[in-house]
This record gives sequence, structure tokens and C-alpha cells, in this order.
Amino acid sequence: MRETIQINYVVGLLLLVNACQSEEEIKRQKYITEGKQLYKTYCANCHQADGTGLANLYPPLNGSDYLAKKDSVICLIRSGQQGPIIVNGQTYNRIMPANPQLSELEIAEIATYIYNKWGNETVTTDIKTVREQLAQCAKPSGQAVAP
Amino acid sequence: MPASTSANNLLVLLGLLVGVAGCGPSNNRLPVLGEKQAVTKTVNGKEVVDSVDHTIPNFRFVSQYNDTVTANTLDGKIYVADFFFVNCPTICPKMKTQMKRVYDRYKGNPDVMMLSHTIDPEHDSVAVLKEFAENLGVSGRQWLFVTGLKEDIYEIGQKSYMVTAAEDKTAPGGVVHSGAFILIDKEKRVRGVYDGTTEEGVNKLMGDIDKLLAEYTQ
Repeated sequence: MRETIQINYVVGLLLLVNACQSEEEIKRQKYITEGKQLYKTYCANCHQADGTGLANLYPPLNGSDYLAKKDSVICLIRSGQQGPIIVNGQTYNRIMPANPQLSELEIAEIATYIYNKWGNETVTTDIKTVREQLAQCAKPSGQAVAP
Repeated sequence: MPASTSANNLLVLLGLLVGVAGCGPSNNRLPVLGEKQAVTKTVNGKEVVDSVDHTIPNFRFVSQYNDTVTANTLDGKIYVADFFFVNCPTICPKMKTQMKRVYDRYKGNPDVMMLSHTIDPEHDSVAVLKEFAENLGVSGRQWLFVTGLKEDIYEIGQKSYMVTAAEDKTAPGGVVHSGAFILIDKEKRVRGVYDGTTEEGVNKLMGDIDKLLAEYTQ
């Protein structure tokens, strides 16, 4: 009798863990799907749908060593990028427009898509991470910071 | 009699085929776009009114190599024209991605050129255009990036290439413009207008460039 209870308890726990995992997995898939759409709208014009960039004008995301600087990536999705940056040893110097209209959720979704697709990640970049990072970004000069 | 019947059938079929083939080339020709213009000229001492096709008039711009580009520069070429600017945050990167496909496909073909006009000549100087072309992987004179007087560029865009280009402070980048690619033949007539922001639009353009090239080999 006691054993049965214990087994039930274990089974119950397992089910709970499984349910949690699949909930997390559903969230990740949702972020990837939404992120892909947002990427297409806000990023793919320059960086291309396959993330390969365009010649020496716009840097790649696919196979890019810059993805290692995730803090910086999150900041520049919101604030844009000016001045030269080096990606895979190549210098790029085009203006990337800021996207102040993107919400923290949307940036989280874009980051999740990019990092799952090209950054060898299999996790969600959540809103909390994005919010904390955005608070630490260097403020673009002369621009009001969105509340 | 069955043999002769089938021979007759064959003749009918042949006739039909010839008929179809006869229609082929004319159906395949690209249309000439734009309104015809009436011109008055004197023939044998009498004034007659004739109509001429809409053509691209002469112009005078400066290329990324800092030399003068006129309509004569494109004599004997079919070319694809477009309007863009270097710091354009919206459709230009797509257009340049697509025009690069055209460039790569016809690279080295002496009959084909590309002519990209900046609509932001205040920023897009010769040096800026040169760096942009180089970064895009474009060398040589087959694809020219031109700048000039803003009013000249806007005028030729609107009146001759039949595209929209206008300043608009409310638009991203301060300028509204069309993403069209315009196909011009060796007689400087407009033969097609395509969506230069999509792969499908530019696939159609390249198909039509092939057709147009074929017109000159017949």
C-alpha cells in the first residue's frame, strides 16, 4: 500500500515535470514562430531571410562570430548600430536603423529565433533577460529612452 | 482509304502547327510602354503629324567613378534602371539584393547594363556611391551608380521612367520612392516595369531581359 502511494507520487512528479517541459517547449516554439515573422519584417531586408547578409554591405547572422556578444545584439536590435563593426574579421560600416517600436516581448522573440536558428541555442530568450539587458545598454545619444 | 485520311489529318495538323508557330514570335515580343507622343514634321514640303514612342531623353549625371554619364553612355545597350539611396532603411536593401542577382546573371554581357540613380544626392556623393558599389561587390562599368541634381533625378524618374520619387519628411529616410526596376531597350523605350523588391518580380525581369536580347539576334 505504501509502495503504491510512493509510485503514484513518483509518477505524478514525472508527469508534472513533463508537463512543465512541454510548456516551456511550447513557449520556445511560439517565440521562434513569432520571431521568424518579426525577423522577416525588421531584419531580413538587409541580413536576408537565410541570415547570410549582403556582400560587404550588411553582415551575416548565420555563421557570425558576433552572436557571441548577445548583450550587444539585444541592444542593437532596439537602438540600431552606427560606425564600423567587425564580423568574422570583416569590417562593416553601414547604419542599422533603430527599432524603438519593438517591445521587449518582440525583441525576446527575435533573439530566440536568431539564437535557435544560428546561435546553437535551444532555449527561449525570455522577456526578463531582454528587459535587464536593455536597461544596461548605452543610451543612444540625443534620443529619449523609452520607458 | 484509311492511309490517305490519316495523311490529310497530318496535313491539317501541320497547317495548324505552322499557324501556331507563326503567331509565336509576335506574341512573345515585349510591349512598348508609355504614351506615344505626336510630332509634327515636314515631308516633301507638307506638314504631317507622326507619333513616336515614349523614350528616355538625354540626361547628364555623374557615376561612382566621377565621370559623366549621359544617354549616349547607354547607346547600344539594354539596361535596367532603378532609384534608391544609400541610407534607405526600408526597401533599398531588398532592391540591391535583387539587382545584384541581375548583375551576377548578366556579368560580362556587353549588351546589358544597370543604372541606379540616387534620390538623395546631398548625402550620396561620388565617394559614397563608390564605396557602396565596392561593398556590394560591384566593379567595372556594367552597373553604374549615378548622382546629379536632385530635380533632374526626380524629373527623369517621374516623367521618363514612370516611377514615384518624392521627398516626404514623414517617410522613413525622408523620401518615398518606388521599388520598381525599369527595363529599357536599345532604342531607349520602356519595355517593362517590375517589382524590384521581390524575387518573383526580378525572375520575371530576367526572363524578359532574355526575350529582349533575343529580339536583337533575330
